[in-house]
Amino acid sequence: MQTAAIVTRSLTKSYGELTALDSFDLEVEQGSIFGLLGPNGAGKTTLIRILTTLMRPSSGDAFIEGLDSRSKGRDIRSMIGVVSQENSLDRYLTARENLELHARLHGMEKRLYKHRIDDLLELMGLAGRQKDFPDTFSGGMQRRLVIARALVHQPQVLFLDEPTTGLDPQSRRAVWEYVRSLAGSMTILLTTHYLEEAEQLCDRIAIMDHGRLIAIGSTQELKDRLSGATVYEVEFAGQGADHYAALLGSMPCVIDIKQVENKIAITLECWECLSEIVTALNGAPVRRISLQERTLEDVFISLTGQKVRE
Amino acid sequence: MLRGSLAIWQRDMLILRRSIISELVAVVAYPLTIYLAFGIGMQSYIGLVDGAPYSMFIAPGLITMTAVSAAYNESVWSLWFHRRVQFTIESYRVTPISVSEIVIAKIFTGFTHGIIKGCAVGLVIYAITPFRFPLEHLLQYLLFLIPGSALFSCAGIISGTVMDKPETIGKVEAVLVMPLIFMSGLFFPLSSYPPSVVSWVRALPTTALFEGARRALVAGEMLPLAALQVALSSMVAFVAAVYIFRYKMSE
Ligand SMILES: Nc1ncnc2c1ncn2[C@@H]1O[C@H](COP(=O)(O)OP(=O)(O)O)[C@@H](O)[C@H]1O
Ligand SMILES: [Mg+2]
Repeated sequence: MQTAAIVTRSLTKSYGELTALDSFDLEVEQGSIFGLLGPNGAGKTTLIRILTTLMRPSSGDAFIEGLDSRSKGRDIRSMIGVVSQENSLDRYLTARENLELHARLHGMEKRLYKHRIDDLLELMGLAGRQKDFPDTFSGGMQRRLVIARALVHQPQVLFLDEPTTGLDPQSRRAVWEYVRSLAGSMTILLTTHYLEEAEQLCDRIAIMDHGRLIAIGSTQELKDRLSGATVYEVEFAGQGADHYAALLGSMPCVIDIKQVENKIAITLECWECLSEIVTALNGAPVRRISLQERTLEDVFISLTGQKVRE
Repeated sequence: MLRGSLAIWQRDMLILRRSIISELVAVVAYPLTIYLAFGIGMQSYIGLVDGAPYSMFIAPGLITMTAVSAAYNESVWSLWFHRRVQFTIESYRVTPISVSEIVIAKIFTGFTHGIIKGCAVGLVIYAITPFRFPLEHLLQYLLFLIPGSALFSCAGIISGTVMDKPETIGKVEAVLVMPLIFMSGLFFPLSSYPPSVVSWVRALPTTALFEGARRALVAGEMLPLAALQVALSSMVAFVAAVYIFRYKMSE
């Protein structure tokens, strides 16, 4: 069997009284983009810091490409790229020098890293600004530079801790584009508290809160985990909504019904009762029937009982 | 093993090269002001100290003071800045170099700042004052200046590692570092101390440093015990700095 890129077993980290990471078990397949979704304080950064050997766990184990994080720190660090939550660029070095220093710390030779850095600056859209200092860059450009820095030595596993937090929507999309362009060439673990980001980028998602893993799966699998209830929206042409809302509301398979002007939202026990509804609506001036797509937000609320804290 | 140290030290030297003029102007201004105020302004009131004009008495101490305080300042602020403000230390720590390599690089950077700035002040004092010494004394003087700068660089690294707030760093400098420098025979001979205090003062490595350095530069005398004391202190400080930094990084 192929080794997983990242494995954690009962990983636990306490800061004094507080358990920031609680018996965390995770397995991330090689080559996938894995999302770790959770509100602020969920323990995402703590997990990343342990996986990137910046911090030791209180108990439990973590393996990167089969290497034990406790004893093989240096080997692990030579094959991972890290984009930390805080921007850790050196503001006294130009964009290019930031990448060069990083390449040298990875023991790369100049003739090797020169071209690599040219390519990366091009890829991240920073080639024209390579001689400038990072504090003259926009937030999105700085973030891209940090990502470029994490890629200089061609890592096998890339960690991105909240790569788009604090960016405007346009810069966020640009970062997504770059992350997507890396898909398949390496394993990517990213943390986020934006549901949309996890949904857009990740093959698999783990939802966590208070240091615990709450659910894990693909976006679709997580959505399927919602209770069987499905919501349909029926839009009427002209009058009739009031009458049919009352009629449908009295049917046994309808759990809930809400009316807004000429639209009614019907919550069904299961999708199988849809045919009864359609029969009941026979001859009604229906303009449109649509299934309401559930989002990760719904999943998060149904699993944790609360909205994602921003 | 020290590949990482070299890369980080070279980064620091690049930054120093870029700002060398303003750094040197700033670093020369202070000792030169003291020299003019005390060495020239007060000279006729003070007369001879230990058989030498006062300006001659304080000149070597001013060079030593510049070197060691530059080493200390560079180390303490740089470590604090890269650790707490810019998080660059963390970006170094996710590469395949060891924590020791990082701290050794930073110690060398502080040391280099000390030597370069000490030399700059020495040259300026040489150029604009009548202070002269036989060139062969320089070698003996370096036997103090080099371990002395290393000692203060390590002390700076330790302070910058354990202190998280800039105001604490400022207080420690005012309460500990500056008094240590000023009380160690830089501005007055140790014989001015009451006899009960002088043996305490002599036990300080800073006293061995300033006293030994001046005797070496002015008289060509060699105080082997003092030299040994400075050298040993700097080695102990080096080990302590590496150890404390590693401890802090392991959280
Ligand atoms: N160095 C630390 N000392 C004490 N508590 C910490 C430390 N770092 C994080 N925490 C706490 O641990 C919990 C998880 O934090 P973190 O891993 O940063 O969460 P996230 O990245 O998901 O926002 C939070 O309650 C936070 O306050
Ligand atoms: Mg975080």
